[in-house]
Amino acid sequence: MSVFNLEALLALLGLFVLLLEAFVPSVSSKALAGICMAGVAGVLVLLVTVAGGQDALPAFIGAYHQLDTLAIFYKAFALVITFLVLWLTLEAAPYLSKFTLDGKLGEMFSLPLFVCVGMMWMASAKDLVTVFVSLELVTVSFYVLVAYTRKSALALEAGVKYLILGALSTGVLVFGVAWVYGATGALSFEGITKAVQVGGVNKTALLFGVSFLLAGLGFKVAAVPFQMWVPDVYQGASTPTTVFLSVGSKAAGFAVLTRVIDALTVSGSMVRQEVITVLSIAGAVTVVVGSLPALFQTNVKRLLAYSSISHAGFLLLALAARDSVRVDLAPGGTVAFYLATYLPMTVLGFAALIQMRLNGRGEELDDFKGLAQKSPTLAFLITLAFASLAGLPLTAGFFGKMWVMLGLVDQQLWFALVCAIIGAAAGFYYYFRVILAMFTPEESTEPVRMGALARGVCVVLGCTIIVLGVYPKPLQMLLAKVPVAGKNATGH
Amino acid sequence: MPSFLFYLFAAITLGFGLNVILARNPVTSALSLAVSFVGLAALFISLDAYFIGIIQILVYTGAVMVLFLFIIMLLDIQKEEAKRANTAAVIGGVVLAVVLTLQVAAVLGVFKEGAVTTEQRALSMEVASKREDVAQVKTIQKDLAAGTLPDAKLMGMTLFEQYGFHLQAIGLLLLVGTVGVVVLSKRESPGKPVV
Repeated sequence: MSVFNLEALLALLGLFVLLLEAFVPSVSSKALAGICMAGVAGVLVLLVTVAGGQDALPAFIGAYHQLDTLAIFYKAFALVITFLVLWLTLEAAPYLSKFTLDGKLGEMFSLPLFVCVGMMWMASAKDLVTVFVSLELVTVSFYVLVAYTRKSALALEAGVKYLILGALSTGVLVFGVAWVYGATGALSFEGITKAVQVGGVNKTALLFGVSFLLAGLGFKVAAVPFQMWVPDVYQGASTPTTVFLSVGSKAAGFAVLTRVIDALTVSGSMVRQEVITVLSIAGAVTVVVGSLPALFQTNVKRLLAYSSISHAGFLLLALAARDSVRVDLAPGGTVAFYLATYLPMTVLGFAALIQMRLNGRGEELDDFKGLAQKSPTLAFLITLAFASLAGLPLTAGFFGKMWVMLGLVDQQLWFALVCAIIGAAAGFYYYFRVILAMFTPEESTEPVRMGALARGVCVVLGCTIIVLGVYPKPLQMLLAKVPVAGKNATGH
Repeated sequence: MPSFLFYLFAAITLGFGLNVILARNPVTSALSLAVSFVGLAALFISLDAYFIGIIQILVYTGAVMVLFLFIIMLLDIQKEEAKRANTAAVIGGVVLAVVLTLQVAAVLGVFKEGAVTTEQRALSMEVASKREDVAQVKTIQKDLAAGTLPDAKLMGMTLFEQYGFHLQAIGLLLLVGTVGVVVLSKRESPGKPVV
């Protein structure tokens, strides 16, 4: 069993579930979710156990596939988030199935598997063609997932918006790829790295292509000015899909972005300064544009959408602070660490929203009033997730934000630093507004209940937040192996 | 190819392309686009790219445009009402056109007058493909010796050997697309309670 077979296994499982759902109508959502979750967990176990012993890939696959630390990390990340999304779908099934045409959730269990396959391929892509093909697999699956709960007008609107803007961004991305290929004569990251170092490349053409390439990828990770779709799509899509978009799609986008930026900003690169400038400005503006509207949101799901934009800004800034090695992490490592902390807190935040819906409450700020009395556990977990999203010390979110800011100090990117501080400060306001609402007493005494499984998973996620916030060293050491751009392209 | 043929086909492509946006009747627009594609295909063929030329006709003219026509006729779209042009759309279109023109000008500016053309250079493996293993294929050698560009064979080799993985990934992508169409367009089941 080799690591590169895992995606094929997962795709086969997806086909199997698709057929099972089509030909055995009596199979329940629970069974489908169980099969998918077991499959994803199995693949994750295989990945972790097999990953260490790999050194060389066969030639036919080695041309477009690599298995460095970053690739393994993002593969594992994709599997974890897929597992959690499948669980959230199962959890939300009682109310989600009211919004589908046939009252069932069949494909909502098989499509995430295909998304996961695409994200895993993106994680180890070595050239822009592979990136494009796997990115499209992810995006097309998301078009379907976003509009799946079709009876909800919001979901339909979200689906149309995502489809049109997604198709546009795909066009922009391919256009950029074509220009980069035209300028450098290479599609592989290795070839681009060499071309920008050696010179003899038309710089204007290259920059033109790079700007389109970054715009296309910027859409996928929700960076300003390509973030307009985020609030509507995140709010309209079913909550499990929103989690998948917010965490999975973003992580896969940043996996690719890390490699693209590494290739373009290798030492001696002719476009290094330009790319760093663009990244730092885009990142800084993204943080502010994501944070400021969030101050006025009364819908918590929409608030989390704006928060997702703001986090994308921090991640871009992590890539912009190229040469800071204060915490032994390469830029790609910092991004990976930030995403690893972003996963539990975002999933926990959205899982709480699903619990609210299951208890007949909405997603507005007022619905959270008095939650601390009715379900102290849920209120505590939400507090934890939101405090971590804000970046409170001793929670997972703290280190990511702090390292990004330290990196900006090292690189003397003062404008970006000021924006990051404004964003973080605004974050404390809007996240704690939700927490405050929960601890506001309310007269109605309708109890809020949580299932045993939900309670268990949420507590695990909460513990992860605390553990990563108190003792991040193991993850940091793991990611310290991520190579600095240009020094080591393959191997662990 | 004689240069008057080039001008003829270029005029067909551009003229009918213009007619696509000027015609008020959607059926005229769609048919003009089909003819424009035929002109484009002729231009491809004149560049020795027979494969792309044929595919252009088969896929775009034959399949995509006919589908367009079917949809237009099925929906029975009447003549477009004369409506006032949207200023933002016009400005956007003009900006796009200018950007595209600048790009073409920039690319053409790189090529120098008197550069070697394909007609001046004998057809050889070096011209056809940079891949070493392709030179070993007998049918490709035969084509080159006969003086024709083995473009379909070269494309097939590239697609199925170099990009075999990507082809299969696209297969998966198409499957997901099909599933999506079925899922999103199926009828609401009558017996189920709707809330």
